[in-house]
Amino acid sequence: MISLSARNVAVALTCVALILLPAFGSDFFVDFVATRTLMLGLAASTMVFLSAYGGMVSLAQWLIFGVAGFAVGNVVAESGRGLNLGWGPWTGVFIALVAATLLALLLGILSARSTGIYFLMLTLTYAVVGFFFFGQVTTFSGFGGITGIDPPGFFDDRPKRLYYAALVLSMLAYVGFRAIARTPFGLALQGVRDDPVRMSSLGFNVQLHRTLAFTLAGFVAGLAGVLNIWWNGQIDPTSISIGPTLDLLIIAVIGGISHLEGAWLGAFVFIGANIYLRDIPFLGSIEGLLEERLLAEERFNTVIGLLLLLIMLASPDGLAGIIARIEHGIRLAFRRSNPEGDGSSLRTNGQ
Amino acid sequence: MTSNAAVTQIESHRSLLWLESVTVAFGGLLALSSVDLEVVEGDRLAVLGPNGAGKTTLFNAIAGDITPSEGKVLIKGVDCTALPSRLRPQLGVARTYQKTRLFPGLTVEDNLYLAQTGKQRRHLSLWRNAKDAELRAKAREAAGMVWLTDQLSAQVADLAHGQQRQLEIGIALVTEPDLIMLDEPASGLSKGERERLVELLEALPVDSTLILIEHDMEVALSVADRVVVMSDGEVVATGTPDEIRRNPLVHAIYLGEEAAS
Amino acid sequence: MKPNKNRRLPSLLGVLFAIVLIAAACGGDDGDDGDASPTTAPAESTAPADDPPADDPPADDPPADDPPADDPPADDDNTIRLGIMGECEGAFGGFHEDVVAGATLALINGAGATSTSADTALDGFSGASVAGVPIELVGIGCGDDTADRAIQEVRTLVEQDGANVVIGPLSGDEGIAIANYALDNPEVTFINGISGAQDSTLAVRAPNFFRFNGDGAQWNAGIGDILYNEGGWRTAAVIADDYGFGWTSAGGFVADFCAAGGQIVSQVFPPLGTTDYSSFVQQLPNPDEVDGYFWVIGGTGTNASLEAFLNAKGDLTGDQHAGNLFFSPALADALGTDIAGAYVGGFASLPGDITTPEIEAYLASADAAWDTLSGGLTGNEPGPPSTALGFGFAYGYYTAGLAFVQALEQVGGDMSNNQAALREALSNLELQAPYGPITLDENRQAIVDTFVAQLVLDEASGEIVQQTVAIIPGVDQTFGGTYSTETDPPERDNTACEPRDLPWQGNSIPVIDGVPQR
Ligand SMILES: Nc1ncnc2c1ncn2[C@@H]1O[C@H](COP(=O)(O)OP(=O)(O)OP(=O)(O)O)[C@@H](O)[C@H]1O
Ligand SMILES: [Mg+2]
Repeated sequence: MISLSARNVAVALTCVALILLPAFGSDFFVDFVATRTLMLGLAASTMVFLSAYGGMVSLAQWLIFGVAGFAVGNVVAESGRGLNLGWGPWTGVFIALVAATLLALLLGILSARSTGIYFLMLTLTYAVVGFFFFGQVTTFSGFGGITGIDPPGFFDDRPKRLYYAALVLSMLAYVGFRAIARTPFGLALQGVRDDPVRMSSLGFNVQLHRTLAFTLAGFVAGLAGVLNIWWNGQIDPTSISIGPTLDLLIIAVIGGISHLEGAWLGAFVFIGANIYLRDIPFLGSIEGLLEERLLAEERFNTVIGLLLLLIMLASPDGLAGIIARIEHGIRLAFRRSNPEGDGSSLRTNGQ
Repeated sequence: MTSNAAVTQIESHRSLLWLESVTVAFGGLLALSSVDLEVVEGDRLAVLGPNGAGKTTLFNAIAGDITPSEGKVLIKGVDCTALPSRLRPQLGVARTYQKTRLFPGLTVEDNLYLAQTGKQRRHLSLWRNAKDAELRAKAREAAGMVWLTDQLSAQVADLAHGQQRQLEIGIALVTEPDLIMLDEPASGLSKGERERLVELLEALPVDSTLILIEHDMEVALSVADRVVVMSDGEVVATGTPDEIRRNPLVHAIYLGEEAAS
Repeated sequence: MKPNKNRRLPSLLGVLFAIVLIAAACGGDDGDDGDASPTTAPAESTAPADDPPADDPPADDPPADDPPADDPPADDDNTIRLGIMGECEGAFGGFHEDVVAGATLALINGAGATSTSADTALDGFSGASVAGVPIELVGIGCGDDTADRAIQEVRTLVEQDGANVVIGPLSGDEGIAIANYALDNPEVTFINGISGAQDSTLAVRAPNFFRFNGDGAQWNAGIGDILYNEGGWRTAAVIADDYGFGWTSAGGFVADFCAAGGQIVSQVFPPLGTTDYSSFVQQLPNPDEVDGYFWVIGGTGTNASLEAFLNAKGDLTGDQHAGNLFFSPALADALGTDIAGAYVGGFASLPGDITTPEIEAYLASADAAWDTLSGGLTGNEPGPPSTALGFGFAYGYYTAGLAFVQALEQVGGDMSNNQAALREALSNLELQAPYGPITLDENRQAIVDTFVAQLVLDEASGEIVQQTVAIIPGVDQTFGGTYSTETDPPERDNTACEPRDLPWQGNSIPVIDGVPQR
């Protein structure tokens, strides 16, 4: 029995390429594009995990990601705003992960009864509340935010190490989330996604499942938040405002919110578009057509908007969905020419 | 759970299921009005009635999917009236749904596996252990009972409608319940499949109790040893299949309507 | 999710994970020595596209970014690659053209540059050189008023486009973030655009971050003194936006007013974006309980908050109200002419009523450089370039560019040795800028001349206009010791209220009919 499906082979090859990347990629590409892709992909993967396996589209993931960053800032920084505890960076990591996980547990308990659009709105509300919380409560931040946060010495000024940390955590999260899908917990979570009423009548505590999944995702979002604060060196309430919150949703949707690898794919496209598309000449001509000088950022938002629209029209489940369909096509062709096949049947995702 | 059991009546103690003036209102509509019902172990009860009579609502009230506005539901002497549906499986209750409720994103085998883990703590586990193999074997066995062995690794979303109806029954049976409630199990099945369904139901262990909502009189009356007829949220007749066949009231409100339609 | 096919996947990826761990260890080492030499050719196959934002790609490679300390400057060839960090989105997005034009005009006036376009600075410039060293614009960063974005943009400028000198940014939080970035990137020189957070220089003190404009507190120097001594205020209440710039501006007023002997009786901080100010205004004392109010509410909040005051507490009179630069003549449209007489704090450039030969020459040079500019003051419609350049945003970037050009001239274009000579020259520069001289303190923070203006009724037109009443010379960041490297940055009400001697007390230069009486 061969489980080397095209999907797994592609993922594995990508991993090899990513491991080797620092050897041939420019410093800028590794540090600025690839590391951020992995960090944002990691954060987005928690959103995809909750959505694909749990049927919960959560807009609170970015908040939890940010809370981990604020926690690191408060614990590690020695001066400036916040608590200024000045403790060691690894203590900061520990406290940040505990804070992110506990927050996720709390939010999970509060929102486990809601589903669909109500869940989305509720988690959006948390995001907004979080923004104002850190803006108003100067004990922890205030609008000015916390600046000058240094990573532990092991990572300080060593972007490649941070890159590998992001890569390792991303791979662990990817493998871990996919492995969880096969465990009793993961199967039950997918059951909750597909039919909570039936799950309940089969004896499952649906809300407990949702809460635990949300907590787990929160922990991973916290990991991403810690990496991000090391990369970024500062955090302030606008870091977790509604704009970046929605950016994470866009990343997940571009990549495909029902495929885990879509999280990283979406992050790559989003970051790549931000960096490389804003100056392509073609956009200059759109500018001409509009007879107005579009500022670079508006241009970027236009491009991302168009990209999102195109991808959604071509494939409601994002780029990863397109790839899955190509794989499906190849396999069908293969099976037709070889009726034995490999015994594994094709199926589309239940989402 | 037994701690908050209110065993109020001597009779109820002996019965597997005891309903006492159960009322369910949707706004102004009385979907169930003051229904009394007793089911004892080994009963094969068919619930008949025209569309909208309240049969499914009766199931919902028993299974905990709806909390009655009045009355009491006792299962094995335990007052379940206000308990959530997820506590029913521990009491040995399983049901199917008239409108299929499956897990379309999972395979047939996973559906049947999942159904068994609900009663156990292990459904929170992040590890698979030896017990899994046993549950998987049972899942495959149940798939065989509902003629889905060939579809074990098929995704449920890809099944034909009839196959999904079969799985619906399989999910209820795989938990080996004491009380099985089937809501129109024959709908969506072909003639041949219906006949096999009757065989399947007749082959259930003698001590398992069955409540069956069924529009197909042939299926209902051949499986049941007792019949309850409902209309407008009320129980209007009870009796053996023969008595019911002969009851003019039943003809008027139910069989007559069927003949007319 | 096709879960049933993935049974082998964990083990497969487990092996890969092991490889990663090994590679990570090696990679870390690679990072240590592999970057000591400038890296490979520009054709990075991994990058989907390599075009930097500017028209001309950098001749060279981006400088390597990790362990920067032992990184030899990639620019011993004395090429100057300039990045301008603007803000094309967010609260000040409308001033993107203005600030880029400000920096560009300095290169036009001081380095022989020519603007590529006659009606925008955003298309770049060409032909700039100082002491024979060409200055090339490698990119224009596009901030959105957030620190996160500023970091991303400045990293793109430095790490991708290879900028070795950056002018910018525009707003306070961006400034702090970039000053911190400067600490970690000592091979690049940063000259602040117009951002006015105190921390950027007083707290961060990056040796390669220079600021030739005042901070938010400095711009309000002198107004407290005038209100105490000429307005007769003894007590004041403060209402300010609840964020860095609001706190800093209010802090400057508090420090100045208290130094003169005044008392602050109440401080209220509504959140940014408040639309209904009534509950905040309620917290202020009544007009008969306090001598006056100092307002630091910007944007759409300015009018909304003043209207809430009108509704709750009665008239707005010029003798009882003052504000920072947000307190503009436009207020009178909505609030009536009673506001005449109110004092207004300063900003980077001087109001239009002041004319000196230097200012006239500066504004004329702007009109010569472009036909029109679509700046923020003209609602991003084409307008006279001098309108944009006469305002503080563009002017801040102009002084930054001018300082750079003048320092570079002094050192004969010497960028060697981690730009040591250039930085030395910047630190000691006595910049003769159009609106007044600027020098830097030991934290590389400007000591500036600021001004106090007054809203007055123009008899002829019947409209409220702004008139400069005094120039406050030699304002430094510390307010005579109220602020120091030991104090926390201004935050809500943490500015100490104590009588003090300030260097500028009693030295204000009156302005009569637009002419400073120096
Ligand atoms: N959730 C609900 N909200 C409002 N009304 C409901 C709800 N569920 C059922 N009803 C109404 O209650 C009445 C009884 O419905 P029920 O589904 O129990 O009938 P039934 O006997 O199962 O009919 P059928 O043979 O069509 O399945 C109907 O009038 C129905 O419209
Ligand atoms: Mg029904």
